Amino acid sequence: MGKKESIKVAIIGCGKIAEAHAEIIRTINDGKLVATCDTEILMAKQLAERYGAQAFYDDINEMVKKEKPDVVHITTPPQSHFEIAKICFSAGCHVFIEKPFTLNAKEAKELLDLAQSKNLKITVGTDEQFSHIAIWMRKLVSEGWLGEPPYHMDCYYCYDLGDKRFAKVFLMNRSHWLWKLPGQLIQNIIPHAVMKICEFLDPKDVEVYAIGFTSKFLLDLGEFELKDELRAIIKDNTGTTAYLTFSTQIRPPIRQFSLYGSKNGLVLDQDHHALIKIKGSTYKSYLEKTLPLNNLARQYRKNMFDNIKLFMRRQFQMKRGLYNLINLFYQSIERNSLPPISYEQILLSSRIIDSIIHQIYSDTQPKKPPAVQ
Amino acid sequence: MEISNKNREFIIGSDDLILVTGAAGFIGRYLVGELIKKGYSNIRCLARETSDLSGLKSIIHREKGQDKCTIALGNLLRADDCYEITEGVKVIYHLAAGTGTKSFSEAYLNSVVTTKNLIEASLRHGCLKRLVNVSSFAVYTNLNKKTEKILDETCPVEASPESRAEAYCYGKVKQDELVINYGREKGLPYVIVRPGTVYGPGKCFIPGRVGIDSFGPFLHLGGSNPLPLSYVANCAEAIMLCGLVPELEGQIFNIVDDNLPSSRKFLRLYKKYVKNIRSIYIPKFMSLLFCIFWEKFSRWSSGQIPPVYTYREWAAYWKKTYYSNMKLKQLTGWKPRVSTEEGLKTFFEYCRNLKKN
Repeated sequence: MGKKESIKVAIIGCGKIAEAHAEIIRTINDGKLVATCDTEILMAKQLAERYGAQAFYDDINEMVKKEKPDVVHITTPPQSHFEIAKICFSAGCHVFIEKPFTLNAKEAKELLDLAQSKNLKITVGTDEQFSHIAIWMRKLVSEGWLGEPPYHMDCYYCYDLGDKRFAKVFLMNRSHWLWKLPGQLIQNIIPHAVMKICEFLDPKDVEVYAIGFTSKFLLDLGEFELKDELRAIIKDNTGTTAYLTFSTQIRPPIRQFSLYGSKNGLVLDQDHHALIKIKGSTYKSYLEKTLPLNNLARQYRKNMFDNIKLFMRRQFQMKRGLYNLINLFYQSIERNSLPPISYEQILLSSRIIDSIIHQIYSDTQPKKPPAVQ
Repeated sequence: MEISNKNREFIIGSDDLILVTGAAGFIGRYLVGELIKKGYSNIRCLARETSDLSGLKSIIHREKGQDKCTIALGNLLRADDCYEITEGVKVIYHLAAGTGTKSFSEAYLNSVVTTKNLIEASLRHGCLKRLVNVSSFAVYTNLNKKTEKILDETCPVEASPESRAEAYCYGKVKQDELVINYGREKGLPYVIVRPGTVYGPGKCFIPGRVGIDSFGPFLHLGGSNPLPLSYVANCAEAIMLCGLVPELEGQIFNIVDDNLPSSRKFLRLYKKYVKNIRSIYIPKFMSLLFCIFWEKFSRWSSGQIPPVYTYREWAAYWKKTYYSNMKLKQLTGWKPRVSTEEGLKTFFEYCRNLKKN
């Protein structure tokens, strides 16, 4: 493909998240939305009309055959990702799949192997890894700020179910695809968090210990099936560990990722778009209770001004992470370089999620340890 | 000349099956009440599985219509549900719509795709005499209309509703287009009704046409503009008649009451009878400048600021406009049963009690 030629893009699944993809494709110089596809033709039509795609379809095979897109974005419910991606690969298209990548690690492995065997590229829409602060964090880690490798990670990933009225509507809407996922709500939300952790794990021999339960809030509403609280410990064979907390009840519903190494630490506060460096060295006596606080205040202030600068430079859109991810993915296609998220990382993430779901939803959960007396 | 509805022949008999979609909604439940009052005894009320049915049940109970109504739970996105609930239906009042979403795709899905499924299913049964498609004043553009002119059914609809940054407007414009196309191409017998701002017991709010509270204190933008209010019982009766009166196929009706209050009067009464909120009056030229500035800033910022306040939005909601219900009165014989004064009194009383509790 010539460098000046736009990448021909198609979107399959024309719901809410597809709008974000179409909006970004419109702003990326390298991409051109050529077609949309949805089982409901009217949905494909409305997205095509709004974002200037010349064609719309309700049949994937027909669409890939006629339009021959370079890249297909799959924004359908997760249950269909696997089959649709296989059709796209057969037609020679690169594939961008919204999270959750697939229903399980078996499907994930098959897709990744297929991509490699056909010399095509695939990635997943865990866009939070590509926000400005996440990119900065990655740079600091690679420069050795933590001291190699990260020793421990702590990831809080919360989700607000809203008040009782909203929660009730959510609980009653049993026909939604989310309820048909093996891991239901947790499987839909935690891929972002797990992917962040996976980036710094050795993929071999990863151990996962997870407990999941239904919050008192949901129990009070009469919901006993849905697990909306998760606590997991993850450890790789080099000794790097991670805690993962998913909660619908913690207030504020924080999304925070901390990394600690042998020298220093980093805290990525996603809600406030801030990255804080935690110094490993300490001061003597009462100085430790004063001077570091000034340093932290300075860092928070700097983050505030950085965010203002990003805004003034018009680089602070809510979906900037997705923009960066899509942009990097297209660049990897044009340059035939490595995709932005490694396949090892995608597969490890799927395996960890499988293990978590198995542990918290399996009927054969390990016996509870004795209660502390 | 106005027509009286007394002793008038309607297009269906009292035993014929009527379907009300969105029956658990604010207008839907009042419409069911009006149909029971009118003597209809075969009313199918469709609500989503997730709907709160208490309001609907209470109105059915109040009108002693338990044996006249059946409540069906279903989803218009499912073709099977549509086929089942439209079987034998003579008149459909289609009130279900995609509200409260910022996503255009979602609004489209819940307004247009649902309507298509409903129409397709009805046409398959082949017994439909009329579809009453409930649209909204939100579909009208005031962009090229001079200020202080009358908005009636002849006024143009938004030609590019996607530029309004209002998903609901987009969904409703496309829904109306779909219904009109089905009428033209497949002979669907339809009437489109466009209520103004529907108010009454069951929903406490200050209409967006009065002002906004997004920035802390309430910004009063409406000033002396008349508010296109429609008291919920009046609105329900008008919708009901649009489904019954003969020879209305292909017509569009705006629904507003008589003696409409100004935005200023509404706010004053709200403060007096419900809650004394702090408000700041923003003169017209300032609100216009604000919307133009916001729109330009949103464009400059490459979408960092959503284009929620635009010139189109200002023209649709805050340009001084008068409203007419003449066509509705002339062709259906409708008259607002509850006066605006009485309606506002009941509404504010409801709001006050709600705030107290």
